[in-house]
Amino acid sequence: MIADILDGIVLGLQFGLLAAGLTLVYGLGGVLNLGYGQMAVIAAMAVAFARDAGVPPLPAVGLGLLAGGLLGLLLDRTVLRPVYRLRGEARVLLSLLLTLGVSFIVDGYLNWRYPLKALTLHIGGGAVEILGVPMRRGSLVASAITLVTVAALFVFFRRTSLGRAVRSVIEDEEGARLVGIDPSRMLRLILVLSGVLAALVAVTRAMVSPVDVKSGLSMTVFALIVTVVGGLGSVYGALLAGIILGIVNVVAADLIGTYISLIILLGAAALTILIRPAGLLGVKE
Amino acid sequence: MLEVSRLAAGYQGNDVVRDIAFHVDPGEAVMIIGSNGAGKTTLFRCVIGLLGPSSGEVRFEGTDITGMPAQRVVRLGIGFVPAERRLFPRMTVEENLSLGAYPRRPDPETLAMVMDLFPRLAERKRQTAGTMSGGEQQMLAVGRALMSKPRLLVLDEPSTGLAPLLARATYEALRVLRERGLTVLVAEQQVPLAMAFSDRGYVLENGRIQTEGTSAELAANPDVRRAYLGVT
Repeated sequence: MIADILDGIVLGLQFGLLAAGLTLVYGLGGVLNLGYGQMAVIAAMAVAFARDAGVPPLPAVGLGLLAGGLLGLLLDRTVLRPVYRLRGEARVLLSLLLTLGVSFIVDGYLNWRYPLKALTLHIGGGAVEILGVPMRRGSLVASAITLVTVAALFVFFRRTSLGRAVRSVIEDEEGARLVGIDPSRMLRLILVLSGVLAALVAVTRAMVSPVDVKSGLSMTVFALIVTVVGGLGSVYGALLAGIILGIVNVVAADLIGTYISLIILLGAAALTILIRPAGLLGVKE
Repeated sequence: MLEVSRLAAGYQGNDVVRDIAFHVDPGEAVMIIGSNGAGKTTLFRCVIGLLGPSSGEVRFEGTDITGMPAQRVVRLGIGFVPAERRLFPRMTVEENLSLGAYPRRPDPETLAMVMDLFPRLAERKRQTAGTMSGGEQQMLAVGRALMSKPRLLVLDEPSTGLAPLLARATYEALRVLRERGLTVLVAEQQVPLAMAFSDRGYVLENGRIQTEGTSAELAANPDVRRAYLGVT
């Protein structure tokens, strides 16, 4: 049971980080990116191909993160351009449709060209015992990286003026413009950041289990569920929901089965919306 | 300093204000008065760049700012305090103020000046803006606009939603700022307050400027007295 909970926390932190990228983009720009998981997959493939070409692990991971950031920028400059002309609900819907389209194209191409490709990053060394439970070193490294990233995000949003500027756009876009902040530049920055986060999650996942070309959709779905439970637009909500759902997922998978665990996750999300429509830490509109 | 000519603006092709011309000279306090729905907010949103004009021109210190987005206009030296205040509700007083200086770091002297003008803000530095009273939020909105060291401060109905005592306190603060050389443009429907404060004014009715003059002239105008000063 303790092993399940520890595993769940590792998975949950990654869920949370993944969802943070999705929820930030939504909170800031009313853009729901359903191609988010594919960004993670492309970044993972970039790392895998770099490794095949003989690039050492760290530079390869660096390339993957760079690829993730560039994908965010590319999305901002191309697919989302027509989306930016719309406001409110129409904007959410068009962003959802267009990014879903992109995700189909990416999935189709990768499944056709590289159906068996997967990224695995082996972290050497034996198991480490935590609370009497042997944990794989890969899981611990992945958790450590995730925790450091969460802390860095926290510092960025709380302590830097750029981070505060991003938050101000989420809180009141017009107020932000009145202090001289350009919301569209902040959104571009956050799209790049979300791409880097997606890449980081792909890389840390690959330390625990292989990330294959088919994992895009499930990553988007997990991120979406965590975002809904945590509250749209709330980074802390995403992290909290990520940890809770991570534990639920691992425990359910262990006790009942992997397939059922996804249904339980969806059930948890639906229940949250019934009880707290704004999510755990979401803001009421 | 600010010159508006032949300006028309509105929503979905329907002009709310038409053929607007007015100016504000350096050091002046100018009011635009009018009843609810006269178009004051539309006019100010258009001047500051939150709303594109359908025709006309806006110039600030000689620069054409017609249709320039608000985030650029405010960086030229205009501070805007909207009627809804538009604070960042989950951020502290301190964070709201330092964002006012964005993208620069908050200038300690300006911050001290704001805290001195509104001691309540100094007492509530760590409180989140959304949990403060209407009067305190208004102080914070003015303070945030001042943090960018504007040369022109534009306020849309600063007395809205405030008890008479707080509305008077707001105008008292504006008076202090004026004595220090700030130019002020204010839209108001509580006319007596604005009239006691301003040098000159314009009367906006049904989207057009009907009358203009010094505050003394407007106070003596029978139409203005009947419509806005409650004198029959």
